[in-house]
Amino acid sequence: MAHFEIKGLSFCYPNSEKKALDDINITIKKGEYITICGRSGSGKTTLLRHLKKPITPSGKRVGEILFNKCPIEEMDVRTQASAIGYVMQNPDNQIVTDKVWHELAFGLESLGCDTNTIRLKVAEMASYFGIQDWFHKNVNELSGGQKQLLNLASIMAMQPQVLICDEPTSQLDPIAASDFLQTIKKINLELGTTVIMTEHRLEEVFPASDRVVVMEDGKIIADGEPKAVGEALKNKNNKMFAALPTPMQIYYGVGSSLECPLTVREGRNWIDEQLSGKEIKKDRLSEQDLPDLYADTPAIFAKELWFRYSKEAKDVLKGTSISVPKGSFYAIVGGNGTGKSTFLKAICGICKTYSGKIKIDGKNINKYKKEELFRGHLALLPQDPQSLFVKKTVREELLEMAEGADKEETVAKMAEKCELTALLDSHPYDISGGEQQRTALAKVLLTKPDILLMDEPTKGMDNFFKQGFANILKELGDITILMVSHDIEFCAKYADIVSLFFDGGIITTNTSRRFFAGNSFYTTSANRMSRHMFANAVTEEDVIKLCRENL
Amino acid sequence: MKFESYHPTINFIYFLFVFIAAVLFNHPIYAAIAFLASFAYSIKLNGKRSVILNLILVPCVFLYGCWYAFYHHFGITNLGENFIGNNITFESLCYGMVRGMMAVAFVMIFSAMLTVMSTDKVIYLVGRIFPKGSLFISIFLRSFSRVRHRFRATDMSRKGIGMGKGYGNIFHKIRNCMRILSIVITWTLEDYIESAQSMKCRGYTLKGRTAFSIYRFDNRDRSVVIMLCTGIIITLVAYSLGQTTVIYDPEIILYKPTLWAYFFYIIYAFVCLLPVMLELWNEAVYNRVSRNIQI
Repeated sequence: MAHFEIKGLSFCYPNSEKKALDDINITIKKGEYITICGRSGSGKTTLLRHLKKPITPSGKRVGEILFNKCPIEEMDVRTQASAIGYVMQNPDNQIVTDKVWHELAFGLESLGCDTNTIRLKVAEMASYFGIQDWFHKNVNELSGGQKQLLNLASIMAMQPQVLICDEPTSQLDPIAASDFLQTIKKINLELGTTVIMTEHRLEEVFPASDRVVVMEDGKIIADGEPKAVGEALKNKNNKMFAALPTPMQIYYGVGSSLECPLTVREGRNWIDEQLSGKEIKKDRLSEQDLPDLYADTPAIFAKELWFRYSKEAKDVLKGTSISVPKGSFYAIVGGNGTGKSTFLKAICGICKTYSGKIKIDGKNINKYKKEELFRGHLALLPQDPQSLFVKKTVREELLEMAEGADKEETVAKMAEKCELTALLDSHPYDISGGEQQRTALAKVLLTKPDILLMDEPTKGMDNFFKQGFANILKELGDITILMVSHDIEFCAKYADIVSLFFDGGIITTNTSRRFFAGNSFYTTSANRMSRHMFANAVTEEDVIKLCRENL
Repeated sequence: MKFESYHPTINFIYFLFVFIAAVLFNHPIYAAIAFLASFAYSIKLNGKRSVILNLILVPCVFLYGCWYAFYHHFGITNLGENFIGNNITFESLCYGMVRGMMAVAFVMIFSAMLTVMSTDKVIYLVGRIFPKGSLFISIFLRSFSRVRHRFRATDMSRKGIGMGKGYGNIFHKIRNCMRILSIVITWTLEDYIESAQSMKCRGYTLKGRTAFSIYRFDNRDRSVVIMLCTGIIITLVAYSLGQTTVIYDPEIILYKPTLWAYFFYIIYAFVCLLPVMLELWNEAVYNRVSRNIQI
């Protein structure tokens, strides 16, 4: 039975001729798990917002949307509030109250339930989602993953028939994201709730979905089962192909007549079958040795740093050392809360270490003047780009940082480098997350640093933005880059040297290829899929290349 | 079961009564009872930390008494003269001591109250009087912690490009501070739009909103309420009979306590010591039961 029917829906934002949605027709069945994907700006969020009345954008609209055969405009507030649940992107902004238990009860209070009903439902939700341990906590003590789970639980407490999630994991670390997506799957399987989701991390969502819809420029360009959608994208040679799960990309890259794999497990079986009976002539790619990190004067040199946030607190950095050679792209990976970001702040002197030595370009950090260090030597790109924006347009934003007589020219050049020229007159809050991150990068680069530190730069970016971002970084020339990230795939593709950070220290350091080939859990999907056949294939391209050579 | 675990209304009634009584009752025996009870309760609650605070407070009673007698000269029993030639009287010294005792009792009971009355309970009590108020306080507390966190994050980010609040000369410092402030305001307002949407999505605009609380009112709460209210009423009777106050000026008039007076003392002590007794009683019961389990 149809849950949502969207017929001929077109939509334009006010003051815009461009159709944000163009003749959308979909029927969503009860209990379906449907993923809507597309590049940012393709109209995914606009579409989802049309399904929830209070947040439907205003503008010109044609077509109709039926929910349970009833036009969505005619639904009363009570039904739409409880029947359609909507989880947004940012876990922090959705939480309204200061206590976990109060947040869980918020929707039920709105519906006017009495205390005993609320008590029961809140208890049920807390038990189902495993919240009982932090039930009494303050919301600001929770991690990002817990916050998003709380948002989900407080919406599920109202027992919605449909759950709409708009990129719910884009702000979470990979482990929390995977937990969250599994919970969504569990809700779908155990309660039969219809799930409509947009995501850019397709690796996990793709195999879990019953149906995938791909959007481009406000239109639906593919709609069907995951495998069929993969094939359609390949045949159309669409750019979205690059966002598909690794096993699918490898499968189509190699070209095979077997069935298409979706998960790593299926991918391993597929490689086995594909190469069965063939002699493996080449099982490794050429690799470079790790250069001597201490040979020349390193750009950043830190020895046995110790740091804690307050006198009574535990040590966050426990004798951490690092040496970053000049001109290299150095990545530090590791789990949440291991102290990676703190380490970055310690290196540039924002967090004052109580023991240890830091040298920037061979000179002790304490010998630099405060201003001198951040003018032409070091710059730190923060996690939240919003924390840098003060002005009304991107142009003014960049001018704030530029110096000298030819300010305008410098800004224009930088805008071109970071692909911001078209956005120069937009408000920094009106552009997408990936574009904000690029604006922040441009702003930081205008301090003309030799060394660029980046804290989780790819958070919330989709694959295309990541590629673009990596290209910008590549073209920066001989700037030394030190980045901390959760994003294993990004580090594997673009970094020269990778370190693993754990428990306040660096555990191991190696070239990107050796590092990921050496790990068996904390490594890329392509490596996990092919490690039983090939010794050091880390990215999709590596696996495709080796497969082809052995066929 | 601690006194904190009882219903917030009970906590509230207790503290309200004890505060008012500590201010109003200037009879030395009543003041002494309030003093000793609050001494005991604050130590029971906060342990070692309170012992230190209370031991600092005790000499304050005498200091306050002396200071008071030094500046107030009512009364007929002259004890001597201070250096500018004013009389120091027995009455003013006694009254000063009692006042000091009342003030110290007030401070000690206040420290106990801070421990017992958590923000949750205050919000709940406000919500009883003004249902939307509790939600607003809750939203305010959430915003407050977010804004504070955001300030820190923004300052860190600005430091990373050499524009933190402590950087540059005085003009730069002011400019940097203003910009950080401006960023935090814009950022917060921008996020409020999303919070408002999230509220609307969960039916905030519906009429007939209820206020949920995690507190329950059980039989144990009822029994404590009965005990507490009986005690308070009897004490109020004592107050209306003039049992709780004494005249110090010009002469201290203290009658020999009657049988009724002893009864009122006991009841007042009972009310003031109720939390301590409840806790001791529950601990004793717990110990007995757990010993039985071991056998």
